[in-house]
Amino acid sequence: MSQPSKAAANSFGKRNGRAAALDRIFTGLVWGIGALVILFICGLLFLLLKNGLPKLTWDFLYGLPSEIEEGGGIGPALFNSFYLLFISLVISIPLGMAAGIYLAEFAPDNRLIGLIRICVEGLSSVPSIIFGLFGIALFVEMFQIGLTILGGAVSLAFLNLPVLTRVTEESIRSVPVELKNASFALGSTHLQTIRRVLIPVALSGIVTGICLTAGRAFGESAVIILTAGVTTSGEMWDFNLFSPGETLAVHLWYVQSEAIVPDAQEIAQKATSVLIFVVLLINLVFRVPLWFNSRKTKG
Amino acid sequence: MKKWIKSVSAIALAVSLMAGVTSAASAASTLKGKIVINGSSALLPLTLQAASEFKKQNPKVKISASAAGSITGPQSVRKGIADIGAVDWDASKDVPGFKKFDGQVANPVAVTVFAAVANKNVKVDSLTTKQLQDIFSGKVTNWKDVGGDDAEIVVVNRKFGSGTRVNFQMKALEGKELMSKGDNYKEVGSSGDMKTTIETTPNSIGYIDLPYVTDKMKAMKINNVAPTEKNVLNGSYKVWGIGYFMTKGEPTGATKAFIEYIQSSKFQNGSLKKLKFIPLSAVKK
Amino acid sequence: MLDLNASAQAAAPAELGQSIRGGSGPAFDRKARLRWSNSIFRVACIASAVFVCLVLLCILFLMFRTGVLTFQNVSFREFFFSADWDPENDRYGALIFIFGTVALTLLTLVISVPFSVVIAVFLAEVTPSWLRNILRPVLDLLVGIPSVVYGFLGLTVLIPLLRDLTGNELADGLLAAAIVLTIMVLPTISRISDDAISAVPKKYRDASYALGSNRFQTIVRVVLPAARSGILYAVILGMARAIGETMAVVMVIGNTAQMPSSLFTPTAVLTSNIVMQISSVEFDSTWNYALYLMGFLLLVISLLMIVAVRFLQKRGARES
Repeated sequence: MSQPSKAAANSFGKRNGRAAALDRIFTGLVWGIGALVILFICGLLFLLLKNGLPKLTWDFLYGLPSEIEEGGGIGPALFNSFYLLFISLVISIPLGMAAGIYLAEFAPDNRLIGLIRICVEGLSSVPSIIFGLFGIALFVEMFQIGLTILGGAVSLAFLNLPVLTRVTEESIRSVPVELKNASFALGSTHLQTIRRVLIPVALSGIVTGICLTAGRAFGESAVIILTAGVTTSGEMWDFNLFSPGETLAVHLWYVQSEAIVPDAQEIAQKATSVLIFVVLLINLVFRVPLWFNSRKTKG
Repeated sequence: MKKWIKSVSAIALAVSLMAGVTSAASAASTLKGKIVINGSSALLPLTLQAASEFKKQNPKVKISASAAGSITGPQSVRKGIADIGAVDWDASKDVPGFKKFDGQVANPVAVTVFAAVANKNVKVDSLTTKQLQDIFSGKVTNWKDVGGDDAEIVVVNRKFGSGTRVNFQMKALEGKELMSKGDNYKEVGSSGDMKTTIETTPNSIGYIDLPYVTDKMKAMKINNVAPTEKNVLNGSYKVWGIGYFMTKGEPTGATKAFIEYIQSSKFQNGSLKKLKFIPLSAVKK
Repeated sequence: MLDLNASAQAAAPAELGQSIRGGSGPAFDRKARLRWSNSIFRVACIASAVFVCLVLLCILFLMFRTGVLTFQNVSFREFFFSADWDPENDRYGALIFIFGTVALTLLTLVISVPFSVVIAVFLAEVTPSWLRNILRPVLDLLVGIPSVVYGFLGLTVLIPLLRDLTGNELADGLLAAAIVLTIMVLPTISRISDDAISAVPKKYRDASYALGSNRFQTIVRVVLPAARSGILYAVILGMARAIGETMAVVMVIGNTAQMPSSLFTPTAVLTSNIVMQISSVEFDSTWNYALYLMGFLLLVISLLMIVAVRFLQKRGARES
């Protein structure tokens, strides 16, 4: 990309002196701000990781939390985090994507749909605590199942639906119309076009959306505190959907705001670095199919 | 890994021993049920510890606890969505800001002590009740007026509805109004936030439960009495309160057993003391 | 980008042949199956869309039904135009929080949008690809850090820093909250804008360069306008998150119901007030209703802002 611009700047150097200067200033500015922000992010990550990462041990990741003595672990909370995230994604990804596809491909272009679209966008600004209260009204009061993993996961899925729906819609809309026409011209049906052309091309955007929501869901605490509680069942590998489901982010909140254990600060630091690592992991897991996809489409 | 296996086998051993040795425990271990606890976050560490010990004895009882704020406790009980509502005051009586909850029984579980705390840079060591009232109502705004340096006082308050706030207002300020506005005034949502804010803000004053007091902050003497366990026990330090588990009517079944476990002298003199709460039996009412 | 449909092309001829053959008899069930799966898929999409709307409507309904009860005891005028919030003495003026939310959101956008768009351009157009492949996941990482951690950092690092810089006793307030929010929405806005910029077909850029534009001109006049819809969507999403963020804001804004006289006066916004008080008031009190109404109001404010942004976009599109 930089080759043609240099050539352009040279051959029209005299005539476009001002533009060339602007170009240089602009490039410098972008690099400067880019470098600044990268430095800032690295600093931030360093700040978050430096106290926690060196002290991480397997016992901490695997162990049971303790209220009195030092050395409590985060085992059940970590497990619950994954379990809850998994369930909530299983619910929200198909629903969100299908709704997004509907809005992008099938929905008539009228006022009502426009209104719905704006409402969906607006709902991503509703504070998560409201979703938590909705979860309480639904699961604790209506279905009477108490504070459970199931309630937490479904409430979390609701929280993520608006963003997933809109990201899917936006990514599918940004697929060039030529590709779609070409697919139709080859005799594909609408479903085939969506499955074989639109989704693969829009996948990068959709995966970004999923990563963003998964990361947010993993770090969400307000909803879980209200709907899944601040306790775990106290044992590892508890797949029961009706167990209380404290997640790592909730544990972090608890340790930071109320816990009396002497090493609360250290647990918080370690839990933070574990969280960052897990989010990295989630990103990798979702991006691997993307790499395969791009290899496939390039080759 | 090894430690984990060890601790699990130790737990299993302890459970089987308990079940085998005492008939009372074996009777309790057949106890079934589900206990939902909600309410005060200050009592949460106690609840969690008691829950994990209780579950070891009674594996068939499921306990799920959450915390949002003291008042949530009795309200959830009234609505029927929680079996136990943890609250930092006796919710079957009226307190400043909150009406009593009819038909609920207050089961005392622990004594908590509250301390006025200030940033390390504050030179004042002791405040009288009058001075505290003036500071927290915004009448006195400079440390020099209470014997300190010439510096603005930064008042840090807990949010409305906090059990610590209700108790501190009742016991330390003798029911006087708290301020709610000002350039050097802020409210925080939890004990942890209070701790961090006091530790990092010069010239700040606030109040906190005794277990959270660290050596990075200064615990004020009130009327020249230091907030220590000893002074509470001998009756000279008055700023303490009792934490309650509210139930709808007298507790029954698993809920009853759980409350009895917390009130038992084994728990009161063991884990509860280690968590820096004070056993119920130790204080004179 | 264009060679993406290579796979579709490879698969398509066979299918095309089959569906032609399908029309003539023996393979008829394949055509029927195609039609079936098409309509089932369509129905599934519609059903999910309806379900999503239903859930969202339920939440709207919950907030509205509870919130509207406020007006049994509080006049419309008092709630919206009085800055006196003192529920303990039955005074429910929410103007401070409405003002705070709008001011905080605008301040956050003013700081974060320029930065985010520059970062997006940096990622999509300027950096070498190896750096890009490292930076994108790193930015995604920042989204996943729980807001409690951001709040804690704000409380322990940012506020002491601001206090030293300004000489205030307390530095809690709009500016501290806006900076924390900027860090939180930066990855959202820049990553989605980045995707939008990358999705601009290469031929646009080629055409621009062929006409003799340099990189600056190409990016500002061709690429950014072409990616405008996506960037705008990113801004809306970031804005929505900024409006609705609670846990981090609560820790740095000061939570005091007073009109801010400067950027460093402790104040409160709708979200911080909701999250601080909703768990500490009685269920069936006017106070509780007022908090639900504030939740509903939050939605209305963000809808208004979204409509405003869309309106600006439309006007911009007409001008260009």
